[in-house]
Amino acid sequence: MLTKILSVANLGLQALEIECEVNVAAKGFPAFTIVGLASKAVEEARERVKTAIINSDMEFPLAKITVNLAPADLPKDGACYDLPIAMGILSSSNQIDLGEEKVYFFGELSLDGTLRHCRGVFLLAILAKEKGVKKIFVPRLCANEAAVVEGIEVFPVDNLKEVIAHFRGEKKIRPLKKIESEELLENMRVQFDFSEILGQNSAKRALEIAAAGGHNVFLMGPPGSGKTMLSRALPGILPPLSEAESLEVTKIYSITGNIAPGSSIIRERPFRSPHHTTSQIGLIGGGSNPRPGEITLAHRGVLFIDEFPELSRGSLEALRQPMEDGYVSISRAAGSVTFPCQFMLVAAANPCPCGFLGDSKKECRCNVHQIANYQKKLSGPIMDRIDIHLTVPAVDVNQLMINKENIKSEKSEEIRKRVVAAREIQRQRFLKIEGVYSNADMKNKHLKELAKLDDKANILLKMAVNKFNLSARTYFRLIKVSRTIADLDNSEIILDKHVAEALQYRVKHED
Amino acid sequence: MNNFRKWEIKKIDKKDFPPQLKVIKNCPEFLYYRGNWDNKIFEKSLAVVGSRRMSRYGQEISKKMVSELAVQKISIISGFMYGVDTQSHLSALEMGGITIAVLGGGLNVLTPPENEKLYWQILENKGLIISEYEKDFQPTLWSFPQRNRIVSGLSSLGILVVEAGLKSGSLVTARIAREQGKKVWAIPGQIGCSVAEGTNYLIKNNLAKMVTESGDIFKKSSKTNQEVIFESLDPLENLILKELKVEALSMDELSIKSGVDVVQLSTKISMMALEEKVVEENGKVYLNSV
Repeated sequence: MLTKILSVANLGLQALEIECEVNVAAKGFPAFTIVGLASKAVEEARERVKTAIINSDMEFPLAKITVNLAPADLPKDGACYDLPIAMGILSSSNQIDLGEEKVYFFGELSLDGTLRHCRGVFLLAILAKEKGVKKIFVPRLCANEAAVVEGIEVFPVDNLKEVIAHFRGEKKIRPLKKIESEELLENMRVQFDFSEILGQNSAKRALEIAAAGGHNVFLMGPPGSGKTMLSRALPGILPPLSEAESLEVTKIYSITGNIAPGSSIIRERPFRSPHHTTSQIGLIGGGSNPRPGEITLAHRGVLFIDEFPELSRGSLEALRQPMEDGYVSISRAAGSVTFPCQFMLVAAANPCPCGFLGDSKKECRCNVHQIANYQKKLSGPIMDRIDIHLTVPAVDVNQLMINKENIKSEKSEEIRKRVVAAREIQRQRFLKIEGVYSNADMKNKHLKELAKLDDKANILLKMAVNKFNLSARTYFRLIKVSRTIADLDNSEIILDKHVAEALQYRVKHED
Repeated sequence: MNNFRKWEIKKIDKKDFPPQLKVIKNCPEFLYYRGNWDNKIFEKSLAVVGSRRMSRYGQEISKKMVSELAVQKISIISGFMYGVDTQSHLSALEMGGITIAVLGGGLNVLTPPENEKLYWQILENKGLIISEYEKDFQPTLWSFPQRNRIVSGLSSLGILVVEAGLKSGSLVTARIAREQGKKVWAIPGQIGCSVAEGTNYLIKNNLAKMVTESGDIFKKSSKTNQEVIFESLDPLENLILKELKVEALSMDELSIKSGVDVVQLSTKISMMALEEKVVEENGKVYLNSV
């Protein structure tokens, strides 16, 4: 007898419905074959399914069993077809009755019949809603991911026995209650607080501006000056993920299996800090079956790269286009996929290979050539895409102790309030312009209309261009940063003081 | 593109050397040079030596001193290496002065390669590039201290040590200069700073005279207008200048000392940088000395 079960395959960030046809033939030698471009993991489902069925006190039919995963030309990967195949066999051999209703099954079986955590459940739930499938059966460990999607019933399954009992009408599984994503978004906690970082007020201010305008940041400073700590605290002052943004991020995290078992949608802005030896594919995404890279995992969040100049030249160059476009297209033999990657880049570096160039206490041990080579990597096109350049000086611990009372440390929460307000002004401003959400996204043609300078500011800017020999690109970047500072100040027009502050964040290298 | 090779290599014999060079120990029999040799330019000349690894302070002071001396038509002799040497040549050129480089290798060997531009700039500004070695001689560890005897030997006024470590070539040069009977000056540095140990040692042991202004080396009453800078109508600006006069500070330190928040402060510093009152580098704000 032939049974058709529905399940889902993932391609890039897309979920596709697949049909799992199971035939238990009345004639022929006993065998168990899986066809339909199945990967090794799917092939091995035979042993898992057989053992799990037997260990769940059911009978594994001694007959010729054929499983076809359709459409046959789409590559299928992962162990999540164990449950649909098992259900198909049980149904074909008349041990259970699945009824007429359309249902998705999804999950990996262990030998004793329990279901394991697997990737992509959130996308499956979204697809179910689109296709009008009302019920989905997924492992309990990842059922919460699906429970935020409205209009479907999510049945969390612990083991194979439970599903069998459910369809035999012996003991029904209770569907999960819908989880409201809004309440999840509000219960956000901050991992690192700015108030925990003593001093570094100018760096904090710069990060506040960066967060408010979505600007990329470059931090330069000797080892131990707090670059990493400052960057880690950055997500805490970013505006919270909107519901739409949160769903985008959850999709990516679901497909890569990055959602912890039991948790639901992603509510914190991602903070990714790949090591500088990360391969180009690891950073950008790729593989024969294309998977998202770090830049996509940092979508709507922060991509922090420490020791930025140590990144291979190839990786540095590869970062350029995705940074500009906000998405990355990856083409492989298996097909082409597009991953979103709108992230804020925070790059950190030492001033020279040993780290102590210009330090007042320690002597730099690098020779002139080393320094020249190191800084050569820090120039060029990638640096042109960074709006805020910041030097973080080493912190003198003694001075911190003496002046402890004088140092005011604001909590991340307070800073975030200002950032959220500034973002709201920007949202209103860019309502009509597609693809622009923050000041950093503005193109040069928008500046004339949307970033108006008052006369004094204009004169100051011209003076600065002459005095500091600024390039045209730097000039436009300066205006964008000034716009953000004016937004934080709740000022419609950019004043000279805003420009003057923005000048602090220009590249201050000589020559 | 300007190529220094278009300047012809010439040779000068000992008999035509400036008198102060003829008398030194181990005086070379002849020298190779590029440029136009004229013994007049050595009449008022000063050798400047110092560490290759210069501190910000050393850079500032050598800039200031050398510029002030170059304005008074004193030729600056140095060794063409990076650090203090390069800075001295540059400062002299900036003021339109004449500067002489004595190489540790042949005239066709460019060490360090970064200084190619400096090489022909010196020639174009009536300066000289000198070497006692054959034109393609690669500089070696011993050739640098060798040429130092010529650096100090050529000078009529003496030698100025800007920054030097305790075991450095600059101290060797200072010793050679003393043996040649030249005057030795040294600029004091901060205690504990590795590149100031040598100069401080010289001063402490009476091996060199301490220099705190260019007038110590060559007096020609010219009033420096340094003090004029510290008058401004803005109270915050005055406060900042007062703090910076003590030492260079980072933005945060300035903020703590002045009690002004960073937003207001960075606005002010930008304005002051535009007016050339301060310079920002390596995350610190410096008083503009020139």
